[in-house]
Amino acid sequence: MTIVESPSSTEAPAPSADRPLRREWGVANVFSHGFLLLWALLTTLPLLWVVLSSFKDDNEILTDPWGLPGALRFENWQRAWTEAHIGRYFLNSIIVVSGSLSLTMLFGATAAYVFARYDFRFKQVFYYLFVGGMMFPVFLALVPLFFVVRNAGLFGTWRGLILVYAAYSLPFTVFFLTAFFRTLPQTVAEAALIDGCGHFRLFFRVMLPMARPGLISVAIFNFLGQWNQFILPQVLMQGDDSRWVLAQGLSALAVSQGYQGDFSGLFAGLTIAMLPVLGVYVLFQRQIQSGLTAGQLK
Amino acid sequence: MATPAAGLLTGCAMGGDDDDSGGESANQGDKTAEDPFGVKADAPLEVVIFNGGYGEEYAKAHEAMYNEKYPNAKITHSATQEISKTLQPRFVDGSPPDVVNNSGAGQIDQGSLVAQGALADLNELLEAPSLDIPGKKVGDTLLPGVVDVGSYDGKFHVLNISYTAYGIWYSQKLFADRGWQYPKTWDEHIALCRTIKAAGIAPWTYAGKHPRYMSWPVISTAIKLGGLDVAKNIDNLEPNAWKSDAMKQSADAWYQIVKDQFILPGTPGLDHVQSQTEWCRGKAALISCGSWIENEQKKVTPEGFNMAIAPTPSLGAGDKLPFEAIRGTAGEPFIVPAKAKNVPGGLEYFRTVLSMRGAKDFTQKVSALSVVAGAADGATLPPGLSTVVKALDASGTNGFNWVYNNYYRKLERELVDAACGEFFSGRISPTEFLDQCQKGADMIASDSSLKKYKRA
Amino acid sequence: MRHGKYPLIITFLVPPLILYGVFVLSPYLQAFQISTTDWLGYSTDANSVGLDNFVQLFKDDYVWNAIKNNAILLVLVPVLTITLGLFFATMLNMGGRGGRAGVVGVRGTGAYRLVYFFPQVLSVVIIAVIWQQVYHPNAGILNAALEPFGVNGPSWLGDPRTAFWCVLAVMVWSNVGFYVVLFGAAMQAIPKDIYEAVLLDGASRAVMLRRITIPLLWDTVQVAWIYLAIAALDGFILVQLMTNGGPNFSSDVIGLRMYNTAFASDTKFGYASAIGVVMFFLTLSVAVLALRASRRDRIEFS
Repeated sequence: MTIVESPSSTEAPAPSADRPLRREWGVANVFSHGFLLLWALLTTLPLLWVVLSSFKDDNEILTDPWGLPGALRFENWQRAWTEAHIGRYFLNSIIVVSGSLSLTMLFGATAAYVFARYDFRFKQVFYYLFVGGMMFPVFLALVPLFFVVRNAGLFGTWRGLILVYAAYSLPFTVFFLTAFFRTLPQTVAEAALIDGCGHFRLFFRVMLPMARPGLISVAIFNFLGQWNQFILPQVLMQGDDSRWVLAQGLSALAVSQGYQGDFSGLFAGLTIAMLPVLGVYVLFQRQIQSGLTAGQLK
Repeated sequence: MATPAAGLLTGCAMGGDDDDSGGESANQGDKTAEDPFGVKADAPLEVVIFNGGYGEEYAKAHEAMYNEKYPNAKITHSATQEISKTLQPRFVDGSPPDVVNNSGAGQIDQGSLVAQGALADLNELLEAPSLDIPGKKVGDTLLPGVVDVGSYDGKFHVLNISYTAYGIWYSQKLFADRGWQYPKTWDEHIALCRTIKAAGIAPWTYAGKHPRYMSWPVISTAIKLGGLDVAKNIDNLEPNAWKSDAMKQSADAWYQIVKDQFILPGTPGLDHVQSQTEWCRGKAALISCGSWIENEQKKVTPEGFNMAIAPTPSLGAGDKLPFEAIRGTAGEPFIVPAKAKNVPGGLEYFRTVLSMRGAKDFTQKVSALSVVAGAADGATLPPGLSTVVKALDASGTNGFNWVYNNYYRKLERELVDAACGEFFSGRISPTEFLDQCQKGADMIASDSSLKKYKRA
Repeated sequence: MRHGKYPLIITFLVPPLILYGVFVLSPYLQAFQISTTDWLGYSTDANSVGLDNFVQLFKDDYVWNAIKNNAILLVLVPVLTITLGLFFATMLNMGGRGGRAGVVGVRGTGAYRLVYFFPQVLSVVIIAVIWQQVYHPNAGILNAALEPFGVNGPSWLGDPRTAFWCVLAVMVWSNVGFYVVLFGAAMQAIPKDIYEAVLLDGASRAVMLRRITIPLLWDTVQVAWIYLAIAALDGFILVQLMTNGGPNFSSDVIGLRMYNTAFASDTKFGYASAIGVVMFFLTLSVAVLALRASRRDRIEFS
């Protein structure tokens, strides 16, 4: 039986308990490694393609989509930034999402904390009310939402958008954080209470810091979701496009590509939109993973 | 936070005040000869443009012209691709814009708007004197069919501002280089397809993802064979209109390009731009499209390509209409909502668009024909557009059109579209194709929530 | 010591509740109400028609076609995503030849972990544009890759036999990364001593996977299943951008059907809202069923 051994098998022979394991995984390993590699390619190549295409001109994109660009055409990027207003949308998104993320985390954490650690009448009702929101198809509510926002005088304003983003992010946030808060040890809390610490102080001084990993995790997920959200702004931020957010602008750009064919600008815009999010992820990946892990620890 | 709570209570989508919208616009002034609609000089005007193939520059130019006459009127201009998504709530709460370019994939179903009384009657516009064509009423300055296409049960509600010809497009350069002639009869057409295929080029391609583009030549061929009634019956949802003899013969004929594999492989997966690009690159010789193709493909059309439009080849000697007959219709719809605050302003804006000056400017900016007769005279037109003008001239009074797509948007865009997709990919036969179209038409006909219109 | 809790509870719960109630609950309730009318969307004309819309819905072939597609997604998307997620998570956490320690990832784990998550951070618009190009019949990489093998690829998104599956594949692709990380994190939480004890007893990796990892991961798998089920029942944006339900309604999903009925081909808001209500109850039932079917004791690490 020929086994394809990977190079690491030349290390010193391990205790007998390990040898049967290694052989068993020989053949499987090539297949598994191959598959791992394949998937890695599947996730990176398409992105690489978008970035490459952002340097091509329209002709190259349409006639030779998989070739290398003829030149590094940064003017595409410039066009996307200014003419297609990607730059402006980018900044708008930063403003809106900072606001909505803060609000989401504040309200989400406080509500989840209450659900996780206190008992009161109708608790389950309220809890399921929040969590059930994850099942609603968002645009069932679009038209009535438009009227609610408009009648509250918040139409076309960032305040309104921030409030709406936060409201629609609550179900997931509450769900996630409630589970998370539940895992925090009771002992610390009880000790603090016995020591005379009030409930509010307990939350802000003790529980919240302990919950940091989970908070960071859910914050990152919310960031991603809110950054990429475009249906809500499409309905609520119409008209004057100086207030649009990035995802909305991208969607308009992609649709207009069907009519005006500025593909190079489209890809440049997509790249500009993509890179910062990727950057944030790369920087914070440890937090994401530790946040998820922390939820499982005692 | 009292306001959101108040918003909650009054936020009901349909509890809004239903003020008497009987046409009395908030900004109605006195009507004079100079000002046939009674526009108030300082009333603001809101214009929403569909930001598509024509862009928005032409509209800004028209707005500037409006401002020349009414310098104190503040014009709010915006452009979007999602007309229905963005404007629908405003229609409901009674605050729509004054002028809407209701076009594109996000277009609001016009038949539905008319049925709900949401559009202003534009008849006044037709009766008013033209802004700069002396001695003529606006209605008289328009090309034939423009009023028809925008009328529902005899009332004119939708102004289409660009005149479009629908036909088969080819590259004059390619044909000249290879010594090919555009076919006038069906037999010539099939023979040419064979020749083209032998030369290593696909004779045909089409917008695979929007296969209704191919419904146009099929219906055109049938109309030329059987006369204008073929179209009228389809428009009026007459029973078995899609299965008339003319339609049957046309479908059978067109089936040949599927059977004999004259279509570029992979076409069903291409969208309109992709298929048109393949055509521009010389991978396919013939494509079905409207006169917007030149503008749409501007960036990738090679030098000297010389695109030209041509009518569908005649099926036989028994054709009721001659070879030159081509489908000419008006496109690029504009409406004035009935509840707009400045309806007279909207009408005046339209009058500006339809002035000779506005029409010429439009043509110059977007390389498309205006619906105002004679607006293209003397202008230098890009190659494709000049062939369109020639083709329309040759077609003359034999030009034809159909309007079922305006009456019942779903029928063309979803149902016939799906049937064409199946047919031109070779998965169903001509009979099944017509059956499926008929089934779609029957479904629309029996849907009581859709208002039915009759073509005069 | 619990008396003082009410001020906290109220302060912490009421503001979010109000925000949620105004912007989420209220619109949905109105949507429910609209579903019992014949509202066409552009006027204030709306007459109550009771449950007529729902009756019509049950007879609507197009709706059933869409539901059928959703059902397939409902089964396949979670299964495929979770399987792939578990596989990759295992490889990245336990697949390596770590000698005595026994539970490390394969070589390159760090890079893999980084890269697998990429699809998650992308906007749906970007994903749709990318994959449309990949599936392009003539200029796309998929058919280009098949050519050397002499396979003439179909037109993927243009062929009703393949379009739906293409979209399904993209759904799985864009979700796997998240679950690799989720499962990976859960695996990390399993105390290494359990594994070491088992390894010393001579168990193979496969056995470890089956007898230990998966049962301990069950909670997480359950949660994953529900998320994915919800996504499968919705997923309309991706479908709309890639195929718009075509060709010939083969990739139509219920969310898209609702959108088209409300905004596109029809403008029947009352009817569309009824579809939405049905969607809501379907999602709810699925979630409840999933929860009950997989109920097991939580395993605690003492």
